[in-house]
Amino acid sequence: MRNRPEPSVVKQPHIHRLIENVEKVVVGKKREIELSLIALLSGGHVLLEDVPGVGKTMMVRAIAKSVGADFKRIQFTPDLLPSDVTGVSVFSQKTMEFSFRPGPIMTNIVLADEINRTSPKTQAALLEALEEGSVTTDGETRELQDPFLVMATQNPIEYGGTYPLPEAQLDRFLFKFKIGYPSRSEELEVLNRVETRHPIEYLEPVLSLENILEMKKEVKNVFVNENVKQYIINIVNATRQHHSVFLGASPRASIALMKAGQAYAYMQDRDFVVPDDIKYLAPYALQHRMILNSDAKLSNATNERVIHDVVEQVHIPTGKETAR
Amino acid sequence: MGRLRAQPANTITHLFIYILTLLLLWEWLRPIPVVTNTADIHLFVWFAFFSAALIYLRVPYWLTVPILLTSSVYGLHFIFHEGAFLSREGGWETVKLFSSEFWFNSSLIISGEFANLTDPFRTFLLFMLLALICYLLYFWIFETRRIFVFLLSTIIYITILDTFTPIDASSAIVRIVVIGFFMLTLLHMLKVQEQEMKIGRRATSFISPAWMYTLIFMIGVATFIGVIAPKPEPQWSDPVPQMRSFVLGEGSGTGSGIRRVGYGENDERLGGGFVQDNNPVFRAEVEDASYWRGESKHYYTGQGWISEPTNVDSNYIFEDEIDYYMYDDLAELEEREVSIEMEEGVGFSHFFYPGQLKQVDLETLTYLADGNEGDVGQLTFQTDVVGGRVEASSEQFDTTLKSYDLIYDEPTFPIETLKAVDEDDPEDVKELYLQLPDDLPDRVVELAEEIVEDEDNRYNMAVAVEQYFSENDFEYETSNVPVPDEGEDYVDQFLFETQLGYCDNYSTSMAVMLRALDIPARWVKGFTAGEEVDEADGDRSVYEISNSNAHSWVEVYFPGVGWVPFEPTQGFDNYVEFEEEEVEIELDLDNGADQDDMPDAGLEEEFPELDEELEGATGQTDSGTDRFRGQMSEFVTLKAVLISIFVLVMTMVIYEKQSRLQNYYFLWHYRMIGNDNRYTIAYQRLMWILANEGLPRGEGETLREYATRVDLGLNSQSMSKLTKTYEKIYYGKYEADGEWTKLQKDWEEIIKALNA
Repeated sequence: MRNRPEPSVVKQPHIHRLIENVEKVVVGKKREIELSLIALLSGGHVLLEDVPGVGKTMMVRAIAKSVGADFKRIQFTPDLLPSDVTGVSVFSQKTMEFSFRPGPIMTNIVLADEINRTSPKTQAALLEALEEGSVTTDGETRELQDPFLVMATQNPIEYGGTYPLPEAQLDRFLFKFKIGYPSRSEELEVLNRVETRHPIEYLEPVLSLENILEMKKEVKNVFVNENVKQYIINIVNATRQHHSVFLGASPRASIALMKAGQAYAYMQDRDFVVPDDIKYLAPYALQHRMILNSDAKLSNATNERVIHDVVEQVHIPTGKETAR
Repeated sequence: MGRLRAQPANTITHLFIYILTLLLLWEWLRPIPVVTNTADIHLFVWFAFFSAALIYLRVPYWLTVPILLTSSVYGLHFIFHEGAFLSREGGWETVKLFSSEFWFNSSLIISGEFANLTDPFRTFLLFMLLALICYLLYFWIFETRRIFVFLLSTIIYITILDTFTPIDASSAIVRIVVIGFFMLTLLHMLKVQEQEMKIGRRATSFISPAWMYTLIFMIGVATFIGVIAPKPEPQWSDPVPQMRSFVLGEGSGTGSGIRRVGYGENDERLGGGFVQDNNPVFRAEVEDASYWRGESKHYYTGQGWISEPTNVDSNYIFEDEIDYYMYDDLAELEEREVSIEMEEGVGFSHFFYPGQLKQVDLETLTYLADGNEGDVGQLTFQTDVVGGRVEASSEQFDTTLKSYDLIYDEPTFPIETLKAVDEDDPEDVKELYLQLPDDLPDRVVELAEEIVEDEDNRYNMAVAVEQYFSENDFEYETSNVPVPDEGEDYVDQFLFETQLGYCDNYSTSMAVMLRALDIPARWVKGFTAGEEVDEADGDRSVYEISNSNAHSWVEVYFPGVGWVPFEPTQGFDNYVEFEEEEVEIELDLDNGADQDDMPDAGLEEEFPELDEELEGATGQTDSGTDRFRGQMSEFVTLKAVLISIFVLVMTMVIYEKQSRLQNYYFLWHYRMIGNDNRYTIAYQRLMWILANEGLPRGEGETLREYATRVDLGLNSQSMSKLTKTYEKIYYGKYEADGEWTKLQKDWEEIIKALNA
């Protein structure tokens, strides 16, 4: 999307510090860092759709390191099994018992790399975990850790041997966005930074997991006015009625948008959500949750453009509608 | 009717509009009894309403059709038969009769003999037509949302009826306009609301109170102004009598039919209409507009005027000697010159002159003797010392004047003098100018006395009689004026029966009434001032006088002053100057103004209303005239005109500056009552003002974006500050606490920036 609105200035001191810390490693990706943190704070997950090498992994690692979180990475391959994700019980000859060996998902932050390369079965195992916040193996349900953030990546250029995520699965991600190439000056900065030693190696945590959990609680207390809820509904409804849209955003999308809005408001040190928050987040939260109809596809409409259309037209409640 | 199943949009607004159209339909029905021999029109109205109700309630058509048939049969029974419908002899008879009629008439229709259709069947057809129209109206409102055609055709229908039939639609047209306004506006509101619903800004349509109040107010004001505003007389003379006379060969009125307007010689039998003739008679180059006097007549016969000329040879008129005195010492006279050029083919041998004729300039005089250029030396001049007609003649030939220059005195009459003059008239004046026919009806005299009962001097009496006509709804009318019957008095007929007529009626009536009050008065013929067509050297202008300027007026005798012209005819001004002694006003200037505003005087007789406007203009400046000009000029006094102009200018200014004034009002308003509780209202008001000033918030624009844009536009920071607080209150759950005091300055700054 061209002319994306600039993110608001982050004022919440912890988050501010956190972002500054992550930016030591990741150059010029403040917006994406912010969105990732929103997902972290509101308990959502992120789908990154980008070409390799633009710093997805580095961003996730930097975030994880900055908050002192466990970080694991799963490289999805066609032969990956669900148990490779969730963990498996193994029989210990020593104790003559089955003991559970947790999979890589049993951590705080997971990078699920190239998620569309694995079989739907494995995808499903992961995404179920995203939704439920727990995994069930051998009849035993195991809670995942909190905070828990999955950042899945999808490679948009290769289609051979991939299993594109079904719409229903996409809906489980809070945001989908691209990272994109850095600008020339940013790229130069990247080169400068890694010239001697990669900055991720000496990155120090600035927050603890307890801090994050506390903030997550506070995010839930951010006030969402009736009118703002109305606005969310207006937007979501508009995607359902848009002439280019075959399948509009679900009610889950409304919930996601509201929660993301709360987190975003919190990050700006505001204890209530304003329509600007929603308007800003709507493209990231909605674009992967709808399917365009064939007419629109033929006329080169994209989900992004439709969302943009929608937010520019949807009525925003601003108080008593004065007669015009 | 199958479309009724389609469940068209149906709201209370629709119903309201539907009722309004039914009222319009009623207007269609109202005149029917007058123009046709249809009676019991209320039955048709009820039937129309009834079928409209059925259609509105979407009664299935298998029910609607029989119900409507039955009710129309009941209507037929009601109209054409006696007795109760449900009795043995009643309804069934009608049905039987109707069915036989039906077959009979159907065969007539098939064979094309529409003229022979029987009355009951025609009535039945009318019923059916009404039902169909009701459905059509329903369709127009509920399906297509278009009703303008119906409104337009209603107006055309009513105006045609008003013009060509005896129906007076003056109240009907008001009703139609009111209904029509309501209808169109509500329909428009409906359309707007539907669009709003389409984009999701409105859930339902309803009759918006704001809309309604504005509507009612506007319609009220418009109707009020329309009703009270002075209306021009018909721009064209009523075409019906003329068309009738052309088509049907009917004469207009009772008498001699229509004549052509112009200066005639014979006034023995006045009355009857005339048609306009705008052919020019002469052109005059003169400083001030004034009436052109031809002659006066002194003997009233009851039917018209005759004179007994007493001609004297006027060799002296070239030598400062006056044969025919019009004014005495007490009138203020000013010598003027005029050049007159007669049109070719116009055969007058006597002069037309303004004011008091003093001299004819023989040097410039040209004439035709039997169609050839004549020798001035052969001319002799005669003056009728009674009527003031100055005629040129040569012994052998038929004389027609071609052009001449005159020297004349223009009088100014001091009002105080006129009021104060001794009313002792000389005997010779009394003898000639108090004559009345013996059989003049008493009521004319009584009326005259009644008019002047409050007046104590001759001048006021003359003014009272002069103004009587315009104060009492006499109508100016040229075409459809009857000639009095044999034995009927011309004045009596005008005063008490017709109350419509043209100059002859007014002037004769005034002269006769004054005579009845023992005030010497005479009847004067000539032309009105004419149309100013060109400017000549000096202050002089060229006036063109045409046949349609032919006119008659009254001169009243004031001892010591002379014969003072009065103008009783509605819508005319004779340019005579009356002067109030205490007010010294340079009258020349006034006349200049008169001339500038001279309307197309050639149309005066056709368009008296133009003259009303003219009087408005003269009324401003003529110190004496405004008092004198009668009721119409009471409307257009200097004061009234000034007030109107002031109000008009103020209205324009207010309209122009309305937003600014409004903004000042709000500035003041919130300075007075603004507090924290009103913070949101004040902010919303600010948004409203910004929208009014051309900075509306876009549909998908958040408050912050909007505030940034506004601040950018106004080069300030205030809107963002205000918005932040507003967001806190509106979206957050905060309450304003001292915010208003903090931000009032910013609030005002925006408004001031807007006003700057």
